[in-house]
Amino acid sequence: MKDWTLIAKAAGVAISAEDLARIGKTLDSLEATFRPLAEELTSDLEPAIVFRAGEDGA
Amino acid sequence: MTIREAAECLRARAFSAVELATAALGRIERFDSTLKAFITVTAEQALAQAQKADAELAAGRDRGPLHGIPIAAKDMFFTRGVRTTAGSLVYEDFVPDYDAAVIERLESGGAVMLGKLNQHELAYGITSANPHFEAVRNPWSTGHSPGGSSGGSGAAVAAGIAYAALGTDTGGSIRIPASFCGTVGLKPTYGRVSRYGVFPLGWSLDHIGPLTRSVRDAALVLNAIAGYDRRDATSSRHPVVDFVPDEDCSIRGLRLGFPESFFFDRLDTDVESSVRGALARAQTLGALVKPILIPDMEAVNTAGRLILLCEATAALEPHLVNRLQFGPDVLALLDQGRLLPATDYIHAQRLRGKLQREFARVWSEVDCLITPTTPTTAPRVGQSTVRLGGKEEDVRLATTRLVRGMNLLGLPALSMPCGLATNGLPVGLQIIGPPFDEAVILRVAAALEDGGVGIPPCPMC
Repeated sequence: MKDWTLIAKAAGVAISAEDLARIGKTLDSLEATFRPLAEELTSDLEPAIVFRAGEDGA
Repeated sequence: MTIREAAECLRARAFSAVELATAALGRIERFDSTLKAFITVTAEQALAQAQKADAELAAGRDRGPLHGIPIAAKDMFFTRGVRTTAGSLVYEDFVPDYDAAVIERLESGGAVMLGKLNQHELAYGITSANPHFEAVRNPWSTGHSPGGSSGGSGAAVAAGIAYAALGTDTGGSIRIPASFCGTVGLKPTYGRVSRYGVFPLGWSLDHIGPLTRSVRDAALVLNAIAGYDRRDATSSRHPVVDFVPDEDCSIRGLRLGFPESFFFDRLDTDVESSVRGALARAQTLGALVKPILIPDMEAVNTAGRLILLCEATAALEPHLVNRLQFGPDVLALLDQGRLLPATDYIHAQRLRGKLQREFARVWSEVDCLITPTTPTTAPRVGQSTVRLGGKEEDVRLATTRLVRGMNLLGLPALSMPCGLATNGLPVGLQIIGPPFDEAVILRVAAALEDGGVGIPPCPMC
């Protein structure tokens, strides 16, 4: 599991220990389901974000 | 009474738009001290708009089916000269100087705006227990939640105040209150309705749509608000059709899929039996109802949650310097978003593309999917966990479990009432369709509604 206290400190995010304790469990469960999915992604998969260099259909 | 019935009466001079608006304002006066559905009531503006509607009809100018119909909008939609709070202290004193695109469209269609509706703070939650504007109550049972985040929209429509209400849906926020309040709620395809002039929560997940008392009313509102808008970068040029189903619409031969896995796991028994009852009715109406295997919905939900945590925190980060202005549940979500790395956001968007392609295959096998909208009926106000299938679940995660995925996939989805549970509360049925095929889900919903799937009017109505 990730050390959310350390991550918060490294990112310069000021969150109290009490608030961190409250969200850590939720983030741990998200991490547990997300990480295996992320590790399976192959390099041909691009993000589902579209950038258009100019007005679409203008 | 539905929009269509009220519109007929207006044209037959059975009553005037002013009388209709006055009656709606009277219901606000009578019920809203209990329901807390409104943040701002615009009575003066409503009566002026109604007078104008009457004068136009008398002069032979008919703006269409919404002409003179009282509606309301969640407080996420910018309304020129009218305070727009997003249900938060952050925007407590914000008065926009322009209207959201959908407000423009509804008003140009002659609709009469009753006011701005209460909601979950910043649309970031599902209870509508707003710490700044009080908890919205469910008209079916005021000890229960109306759902959210568009809780005021669900309550105002179910209580017979507004004929239609606008909501936003980033992870189920139209369909959840529709399910809990026994109304119809439609989340159109991503890009179908302009987001211009609406507070963002998650840019790539935000959708706009109506809550109404009937399926055809939802179609009427969609007709008014759908279409390309150059001011929204994600707005689609996909052709807009007439979405209102025919009076004798049939679903004979349509292939309706029910995904047994995931969507029928861990349900309240009353919810499951009502939804299965609606499926049986669809079959008697001639639809080909069949089980179907669908892609990994746990993965869809996981990607959706991660993207929302990141986008919502990015949208609201400038305001986090003053932490005291947020309710504890919203603050906890915003804090979570601050601890997720950018790489995970990108990975989630990559996963989204993969899942979208996998899900597209479903539409070669069926025309739409039928599922429950929420695994339970409305929880009590303040309830934080729910027990399903022998497992204790967080109410927010349980309530969004069956709806969130359609925001990630951008698919059109509609919730309609399909029965009352033994506790007397409504059960919602979700119909999901292929991208930009709102017409098919409205047709299925209308056929079911015509075929007797539904609930009696809310006791407060």
